[in-house]
Amino acid sequence: MLEKIALPDEVRRWDGEFPVRHRYTPGVAGSAFFTALRDRGVLLGSRCEACSYTYVPARLFCERCFAELAADTEVGPGGALVSFTIGFVGLEGEPLEEPETIGLVRLDGADSVLVHRVLDADEPLEIGERVEVVLRPDGERTGTILDIEGLRSVD
Amino acid sequence: MARRVAVVGAGMTKFVRRAQETGKELSWEASRAALDSCELGLKDVDAVCLTSAPDAFDGVHMKGEYLSDGAGAFGKPFIRTYVGGGSGVFTAIQAWYTVASGMADVVLAVAEEKMSSTQPHPQGAFLTIFDNILERPLGPNLLWIFALEMNRYMNAYGLDKRDIAAVAVKNKRNAADHPAALLGQGDITIEDVLASETLAWPVQRLDVSPISDGAVAVIVASEEAARRITDRPVWIDGVGWNLDTAYWTNRDLVFPEYVANAARMAYDMAGITEPRKQIHVAEPYDPFDYKELHHLEGLLLFDRGKAPEAARDGVLNRDGDLPSCPSGGLLGVGNPIAAAGLMKIAELFWQLRGEAGARQVPGTPERGVAQAWGDLMQVGTVVVMGRDGASAPTQATPALSVIQTPPFATAGHALSEEEFRSATGAVEHDLDARYAWDAGVAIGRFLDGLEEGLILGRECRSCRRILVPPRMFCERCFRGTDAWVEVEQTGIVQTFSICHVRWDMQPLDEPEIPAVISIDGSDGGLLHMLGNVAPDDVSVGLAVEAVWRPESERTGSILDIAHFRPRGEA
Repeated sequence: MLEKIALPDEVRRWDGEFPVRHRYTPGVAGSAFFTALRDRGVLLGSRCEACSYTYVPARLFCERCFAELAADTEVGPGGALVSFTIGFVGLEGEPLEEPETIGLVRLDGADSVLVHRVLDADEPLEIGERVEVVLRPDGERTGTILDIEGLRSVD
Repeated sequence: MARRVAVVGAGMTKFVRRAQETGKELSWEASRAALDSCELGLKDVDAVCLTSAPDAFDGVHMKGEYLSDGAGAFGKPFIRTYVGGGSGVFTAIQAWYTVASGMADVVLAVAEEKMSSTQPHPQGAFLTIFDNILERPLGPNLLWIFALEMNRYMNAYGLDKRDIAAVAVKNKRNAADHPAALLGQGDITIEDVLASETLAWPVQRLDVSPISDGAVAVIVASEEAARRITDRPVWIDGVGWNLDTAYWTNRDLVFPEYVANAARMAYDMAGITEPRKQIHVAEPYDPFDYKELHHLEGLLLFDRGKAPEAARDGVLNRDGDLPSCPSGGLLGVGNPIAAAGLMKIAELFWQLRGEAGARQVPGTPERGVAQAWGDLMQVGTVVVMGRDGASAPTQATPALSVIQTPPFATAGHALSEEEFRSATGAVEHDLDARYAWDAGVAIGRFLDGLEEGLILGRECRSCRRILVPPRMFCERCFRGTDAWVEVEQTGIVQTFSICHVRWDMQPLDEPEIPAVISIDGSDGGLLHMLGNVAPDDVSVGLAVEAVWRPESERTGSILDIAHFRPRGEA
């Protein structure tokens, strides 16, 4: 009864889709984080004193001890590069015109790490090196994670 | 031998149409309220059980992992279970077996749903529960399933829509006393329900529970831990769950046998021999008003077809002989799908401890049953709960004199539509996933038959059924089916609906008439559309025949049958 299908495109098939899109609002802590980023150009984290741990972006609660947290701690803009990767292909496997570098950064004053693009990554990167976040100029920020243009090495 | 297990704490957020909080934040608010209610901290929790309905609602793939930090799962044994709408009650069962087995002493069980994220309408996330090849080409709407079942139920017993509407009235009135409710309304009348917009006849707007966001959590503990935590544990005396066939059009739509099977399992475990005497309060699943009645019958609390009279006569009211959904249920408190089921467990906990405040059922109820239902309408999940004195072995029965306000988180802040659209930091994404489904062996041959103008079934010689839609194995006998059989091109309408809205709830220009048709010579029902007939002329039991597309236009699709029409119509 089982047949091997050698030419999957020739199997009779029905094409279909999942006709939904999503609108995500950032919640209590996320609202505080994005509003501060847009209006003041600062990165807000949440400090849990009991756990000696600072989360970035800000969070409403500590996942370690369940305490309620506030968006009370400014972090960065400098930090240390925790890891990075260089992507050469896109989502469909197509080659990218320019390789894209993605980095993990532990911002000064934070314990959790943030993922973002690495800008101008012409020089070879080193794990542990100093970087800083580059923000879009005042007035051009809209309250999204792309208000951060990326991470840049600091000499 | 399973250990004895109790619920010792519960908490919930408000149920709202659009919550400001993220799903994680809702989960944390409910979890913290539950822990606070029994003066425990996260460090006291050994394991976490989480549930949430389809990922597509929140729009987060692997939603269990996404929600895990808000559910307190950091560094703990954790798993998400999912049985559709049955999930909320099932997560209490999951917590029960995690404790009963001895794997944990204290479990945090959390249920969350955030349906407001889904655009343009959460029904879009439901479309793929229909068979991709045999049903989705017909343009189905989730309401069809409920409308078709409701009509079948009403027709089988000659029920009056007024008696069914009494459930919506009761629950929205009960919810007026619930501090977390979305749709409480103390002055609603049966006339209001009967005058509301018809969506998919016989389903009207106020027969249906609302789209909601919210979270609920309960703390489940072993007997030893429970005695240490509280002097008023509420025992999980029985659990049951059961599944019907995945071919929903082949199912008995009049009586939910899967609920009855789950109820028998739970009653047996709880030592309940006469549920109508031994159950004092019920929280059956009520996403639609008729479903509460359907489920009360499935729970063996009323004779078949008799629950509607009980609704009419006030038996189900909070002060009636069998209070049903004293919380206000999904129709009144709201229906954040998975959370709504666990809300029923929380309500029994509060009712059996005498802590339900304005919602308190009189007469110090000792034992209750909660039930939910889901997957593709075929799973029943049942939990029987009892306070000390109701359960063996008997300990000293504490007085129920301490009336406390149940712990509700203040969270569950409602956003207006405008606030939701303009929220700082909000982003939108398309799911942008497309699929190609192949027909497989049985349905492939069935479609070849349609192209030739034939309706084909498979014969199972063990249970002597002719299966339409055909399958290569019989799901009852679990053996290969035996032969292809050509069945008739005529059939009988088992049930139908007159649907006025699309899946995204936009009005249709012309109503559609989906029907489940029992094809002559087969044992199954098939979903298709009726045509060449005025809606007023359709009835259950109508004899119909297939109208084929011209041979040259057939493609080997369910749409090769254009529709079914009354027999003898030229």
